[in-house]
Amino acid sequence: MSNTVTLAHGAGGKQTSELIEKVFKAHFSNPEFTPDDAAVLPAPGGRLAMSTDGFIVSPWEFNGGNIGKLSICGTVNDLACMGAKPLYMTCAFVIEEGFPMDKLEQIAAAMEKTAAEVGVKIVAGDTKVAGKGQCDGVFITTTGIGQIVDGADTSGNYAKPGDAIIVSGDVGRHGCTILIARDDYGIESDVDSDCAPLWGTVETMLGVTKDIHVIRDATRGGVGTVLYEIAGQSNVGIRLNAADIPVDDRAKGVCGMLGLEPLYLACEGRLVIFAPQEHAEALVAELRKGKYTANAAIIGTVTEENAGRVIMETEIGTQTVLPQPKGELLPRIC
Amino acid sequence: MNETIKAARDIITSYDGRPLRIMEVCGTHTHEFFRLGVRKLLPEKVDLISGPGCPVCVTAVDFIDEACWLALEKNCIVCTFGDLIKVPGTTMSLAGARSQGAEIRPVYSPLDAVEIAKQTPNRQVVFLAVGFETTTPSACLAAKQARELGLKNFSLLTANKTMPNAYQALVGSADAFIYPGHVNAITGNAVCKKLCEEQGVSGVVAGFTASELITALAVAIKLLDKGEPFFRNCYPRVVKDEGNPEAIALMNEVMEPCDNEWRGLGLIPGSGMKLKAEYAEFDARIKFAMPEIKGKPNPACRCGDVLQGKCKPSDCKVFGKGCTPLHPIGACMVSDEGACSAYYQYAGIV
Repeated sequence: MSNTVTLAHGAGGKQTSELIEKVFKAHFSNPEFTPDDAAVLPAPGGRLAMSTDGFIVSPWEFNGGNIGKLSICGTVNDLACMGAKPLYMTCAFVIEEGFPMDKLEQIAAAMEKTAAEVGVKIVAGDTKVAGKGQCDGVFITTTGIGQIVDGADTSGNYAKPGDAIIVSGDVGRHGCTILIARDDYGIESDVDSDCAPLWGTVETMLGVTKDIHVIRDATRGGVGTVLYEIAGQSNVGIRLNAADIPVDDRAKGVCGMLGLEPLYLACEGRLVIFAPQEHAEALVAELRKGKYTANAAIIGTVTEENAGRVIMETEIGTQTVLPQPKGELLPRIC
Repeated sequence: MNETIKAARDIITSYDGRPLRIMEVCGTHTHEFFRLGVRKLLPEKVDLISGPGCPVCVTAVDFIDEACWLALEKNCIVCTFGDLIKVPGTTMSLAGARSQGAEIRPVYSPLDAVEIAKQTPNRQVVFLAVGFETTTPSACLAAKQARELGLKNFSLLTANKTMPNAYQALVGSADAFIYPGHVNAITGNAVCKKLCEEQGVSGVVAGFTASELITALAVAIKLLDKGEPFFRNCYPRVVKDEGNPEAIALMNEVMEPCDNEWRGLGLIPGSGMKLKAEYAEFDARIKFAMPEIKGKPNPACRCGDVLQGKCKPSDCKVFGKGCTPLHPIGACMVSDEGACSAYYQYAGIV
């Protein structure tokens, strides 16, 4: 097989079969992985959750992961947020002509490893090759189906006044990592992405209690964006305590230099959880035992007043609005 | 809450003397005061007003027009500090130029722009040199480095500003100034001390943590209550009386004072810095034989009055209506350090 991906690999002929055989099948192989037009699967009982997500990250590889790991985590976490155990996934690749074959292997290997950790099966896929310059390296779209655990019922509409708000770990690290990896700002830091598959985390929480109102994974726009989404969807206010929000020291350093707020930076392995106050301590105690959630913390509460807004209790004991995140993140001058 | 913050809070909240107007000159301070909700602590008699210390806010419309001209007419790669990208020019911002195909690159440091010039020898690269004494030394360093590397495709479009003459222009607009710690770290304290001794202008130098900032405010209130003009350095861990002689020497080697247009404040004599004649080859205006470009600010916008503390952002007719952070009309609505943006984003709670 050639060292790079060529247009012929996307043309549907012999080279396409070779690519699928040597790269994808080699990593994704399982009894359900289909050579046919569609995967045929046994129907699970109960309620299902289904989600799809597209991934275009530049650079495709970063400290703590790559686009392959990200593409599994993203969809797995979306399903997990609905209390669903991920069962099957499909993945569609758009690969830029000339992309190195060994790098594609690395991406597939990361997908295999992450999927295996969760126990989700990749059952079908698609490969297209785009001409040089028509896409940036590799774009991946994944779709997943999961089975909702009996008794779990979460939605962004369900936040209630009095609920405790929990984050499953320190915030903003993936966003910092990508900023550093792009090397636009000449800053160095060994900050690594929080990118992680979180079905295990959700399963653990549901083991503590099924009485969880909202689980959402904070991706683009960070935890701040999620809080505004929930405040709007559930028509409630949110009160945060600035001192309780976990931020990694390295992320703090990067944000300090660039004048960015960690709450607005992307995460790829962080859940925001709204649950009745009486379960909050037990949930956090259990989360802190997990490998991706050691820094879990209660960061605030849901209020009846200030519906649709996020209010922050500051270091000097005042309350201010957390400004709503907006558009492109641009570092301040000084 | 630690003891220092508690003590400062008590001084601020219990003040009951004559009415006071205190101006924070620095944009980062404006942002932090809002983020911390400091105005909620202020008694009725203390008014905190935001000055012209956000480099983005005081950048003249002409400058944005010049930058767009370089990007669109001369096909230069324009490198800039990020928050300048959305500042409106007469007809468009740099973001607007980018949507017309111009190459606009946000950078963290002018030296990154030199690197881009090195890597793209077939394109002209221009760095937009704005900011105060805090950022000017790095622009000077970039010009020096470009000369050492023999780069023929790198230049600066300068609008660098210096604080001392701006302070002079602001005398009378407040009872005391909160001086920007990072500017004084470069310039030293002589100018502020002189203002105090010769013209009775009071002020404190403040740092940037919650504790440093609220302490400086408390010190200003306490000393204003006594009635004597004062100068205090409340950021001694970073600011020394003599400032940073190396940075000053570097600026004086590469640049020299010039008159400068401040958005809102107009032309302030001697308040700018431009490249010296021996660095003319790195001056984008000379290099590209730029015609005189005269910008027209939107007449409805009152950023000028806001920057001088003459009106609150909410007194401006377009505030929050035509002018919002997503669609800014005036520069003060663009940067997070801008007074209008801060008022808008923290609305209802300030």
